[in-house]
Amino acid sequence: MTRTSSARRKRVVGPAILAAGLMLGGGAANAQLKSYDSSKPSFWQNPPPDWFLGDETEAQKGLAPPVGPATPTPLAELNDNLKKIKLPPGFKIEVYASGIPEARQMAWGDNGTLFVGSFGATNVYAVTDKGGKREVKTILKGLNMPTGVAFRDGALYVIAIDKLLRYDGAESKLDEMPKPVVVYDDMPPYVAHGWKYIVTDKEGAMYLPFGPPFNIGIPPTSVSQIRRVHPNGQAEIIALGVRNSVGGDIDPRTGQYWFTENARDWISDDLPSDKLNHVTRLGQHFGYPYCHQGDMPDPKFAMGHKCDEFTPPALNLGPHVAPLGMKFYTGNQFPAEYQNNILIAEHGSWNRHKYQGGRIMRVTVDPDGKNAKQEVFAEGWITGNQEYSGRPNDILVAKDGSILVADDWAGAIYRISYSR
Amino acid sequence: MRPVLAALAALCLSATPLAAADIEAGRQRAETCVTCHGADGITADPSIPSLAGQRERYLQWQLVFFRSGRRANPIMGPLAADLTDEELRNLGAYFASLPRANPPSGAPDPALHEAGKQAAARHRCASCHQDNYGGSQAAPAIAHQTRAYTAKALRDYRANARPSVGVAAMNEAAGGLTDDDITALAVYLERPE
Repeated sequence: MTRTSSARRKRVVGPAILAAGLMLGGGAANAQLKSYDSSKPSFWQNPPPDWFLGDETEAQKGLAPPVGPATPTPLAELNDNLKKIKLPPGFKIEVYASGIPEARQMAWGDNGTLFVGSFGATNVYAVTDKGGKREVKTILKGLNMPTGVAFRDGALYVIAIDKLLRYDGAESKLDEMPKPVVVYDDMPPYVAHGWKYIVTDKEGAMYLPFGPPFNIGIPPTSVSQIRRVHPNGQAEIIALGVRNSVGGDIDPRTGQYWFTENARDWISDDLPSDKLNHVTRLGQHFGYPYCHQGDMPDPKFAMGHKCDEFTPPALNLGPHVAPLGMKFYTGNQFPAEYQNNILIAEHGSWNRHKYQGGRIMRVTVDPDGKNAKQEVFAEGWITGNQEYSGRPNDILVAKDGSILVADDWAGAIYRISYSR
Repeated sequence: MRPVLAALAALCLSATPLAAADIEAGRQRAETCVTCHGADGITADPSIPSLAGQRERYLQWQLVFFRSGRRANPIMGPLAADLTDEELRNLGAYFASLPRANPPSGAPDPALHEAGKQAAARHRCASCHQDNYGGSQAAPAIAHQTRAYTAKALRDYRANARPSVGVAAMNEAAGGLTDDDITALAVYLERPE
């Protein structure tokens, strides 16, 4: 790989040195606070396996992240699954493309190529339309969780944990992708909450989430934040106090950044709520790890902080729904009242006895973040207490105004369209 | 065949249950596998895992990993290279359908066994692998495998030499294991009862 001269220079912040065993009161009186000393390289190489092995109670034992089918769901089965999806009147869902292992974020190329990232599959795919039939091609292999993709000025951008890569002229080189340029790599290499999503603004800057490598703890000062990376590799912090965010979009009405955030686990099935956040000012702090859902001090980590010190969510989305990719609807096919609504792909629960989420939500909200409310747009991928037939994780508006939905469980992309 | 019957037969074919893995097809495709993994999916070579009664989803993921080269192995790589998705699903279903192996014979060293039990509790193996270490979903059964195989698997996970299924879980969980932990866990898990 080649490297831009600027990639190494832009250290935002070094690893923080943290005192172990902080006991600053607040929360459970004698609870031993977990905290992590991030001053040693070993922290970054092997973060504590705490994000899925948390503070579970006996009743929560056995709740573990579910793993999807090893191979993409066959087309006939997908068609069968989609019969069970409920949509508002006039909407229709169909398979757009299948056989795309662990399909994650999607982005359009200028000439209509659909680029798709993946989770553990290490691949990036290109989906092209050949006379109404979709052809899926694996264009990149062997990347470290290339979950996020973006397209700008003829280049495909891919985020693979700790490397933001640029592939110039990608759309005309699908058969043999060029060597990437490393645009930015001041990111920790751990995998846990290290998978990312890319949101591009009008100027071409890319918003990247930096999740902490654990469920709850005092994060190193270089993570639990959103950074904005410019195409020349220069970066700045946009938001602080963010746990695991894997989705966001720019409000076409204001140019402001909105993002989804997954709240901490292991408190209970019904607490705390996942969030939709709205950045109105650079450097706002969204509460993690001190305060959740705008009004719930963490039982251990509030440490005397009050929730009103932090920026509250624009909307609480519900506990363990796992909101990931989101888009403002800017197409001209859906009914007029959908204009500038936010559609959110909810990946669904793992840390809950009865799964919820696994659906697409519709949020209406004013440009200033007021009057937010949500309703279910598409549901039916949860097929039992702890069973999925699919897990939506991203949404993309198509040129014709329909939307595409990526499903990494089934390895498929769906199209939802509307006709009167 | 008379037209009506033919139509009926066609109808039946098209109404075949969707994507149910075919155990019998898996058995036939498994003929190559049994050379090393044993006729009943129970191996005689302690360095090779038994597959009988293993979790279906786990087996399928491992075949996907071997096929793509993400789990590098000079024997399994070429063998899995040409598997179709359907064959791989059938193989997983077939081996999962077989009765599990008994624990290896011979009494374990009591001190090592106890140390392994404590390490398993400390590292919370049962959170995913269940209290009887029989596995769940894509988390494999880890009881009754030979100590040689279990120790190698843990070392490989610790070194990121083989991928976790789904998320980074096993690489992370093994990241904090000491060599002594691995030795003790491998002994304990042969016979956790």
